[in-house]
Amino acid sequence: MNDFNALRDIPILIGAFFVLTSAIGIVRFPDLYSRLHASSKLVTLGSAGIFLGAALSFQDSAAFTRLLAVLIFQFLTTPLTAYLIAQAAYLRGLPPHLPGGIDEWGALGRAEEIAQADREAVRAMQTEGQG
Amino acid sequence: MKGLALNVLLAVVWALFSGEVSLRELVIGFLLGYALLNMFPDALGTRSYQRTSFALLRFAAMFIRELTVANVQVALLALHPRPDLKPMIFKVNLHPHTDTTLTLLAATVTLMPGSVVLGFSPDRREMYVHAIGLDNTRAARESIHRVERALSAFLPTPSLKEAT
Repeated sequence: MNDFNALRDIPILIGAFFVLTSAIGIVRFPDLYSRLHASSKLVTLGSAGIFLGAALSFQDSAAFTRLLAVLIFQFLTTPLTAYLIAQAAYLRGLPPHLPGGIDEWGALGRAEEIAQADREAVRAMQTEGQG
Repeated sequence: MKGLALNVLLAVVWALFSGEVSLRELVIGFLLGYALLNMFPDALGTRSYQRTSFALLRFAAMFIRELTVANVQVALLALHPRPDLKPMIFKVNLHPHTDTTLTLLAATVTLMPGSVVLGFSPDRREMYVHAIGLDNTRAARESIHRVERALSAFLPTPSLKEAT
């Protein structure tokens, strides 16, 4: 039971700590947007620590190539998921908790309008490319 | 990209000469080849490869530092007895970029201290960011612009046609 292997266990413990704080943050933060900070940043580094510890415990080069692949997918998918959730919530009008009242986008709940403007901008770029 | 092709070729040659084409030998060959190409960049015509790869390494170092700071900061906020989030949504002006650069920029900024990307303006020249735990937006804007420059250093920039 007490075979503590520092090389393997320290990254796993650090990773587990970050995943735990992520869960705590999700429970304690006031709105969806601030909870996304906890769920995206902390889980990325937390899972990286756990996977690194796992790869170190196998001590096999195949484990490291898998670790690298997992990390690349993590770093690409987690923030993009957060971005899509945040943008969908904002454009459909879920009010953010803003005690300071600073919102420099000011497009809350204006999904249709923004989608329309985006389509027009993309079309303008395409016609320019052909011209 | 000629430099990368040469580098891969050198890695394969090294692995063939070492008698076993394994991942380990390929990695060693790649690193040795990389050192060789950096010793004679002008003779081998790999000056641009050297610049690009240095920029990539600089970005990676910056990314790891920012991610660590971001994690510690959000963890402290989550464990604080009375967290003062100071949430706000602010605007960052961007230079013209390709969609690839914008995607990587959005992903990186979301993993940076205190910021999650919310959206872009239709012309892709403004990015809107939700921030927590920041006292003012100036420092956050500066670090986002730093990341923008670091990314542009190793990614292809848009032609003038796309930039308008």
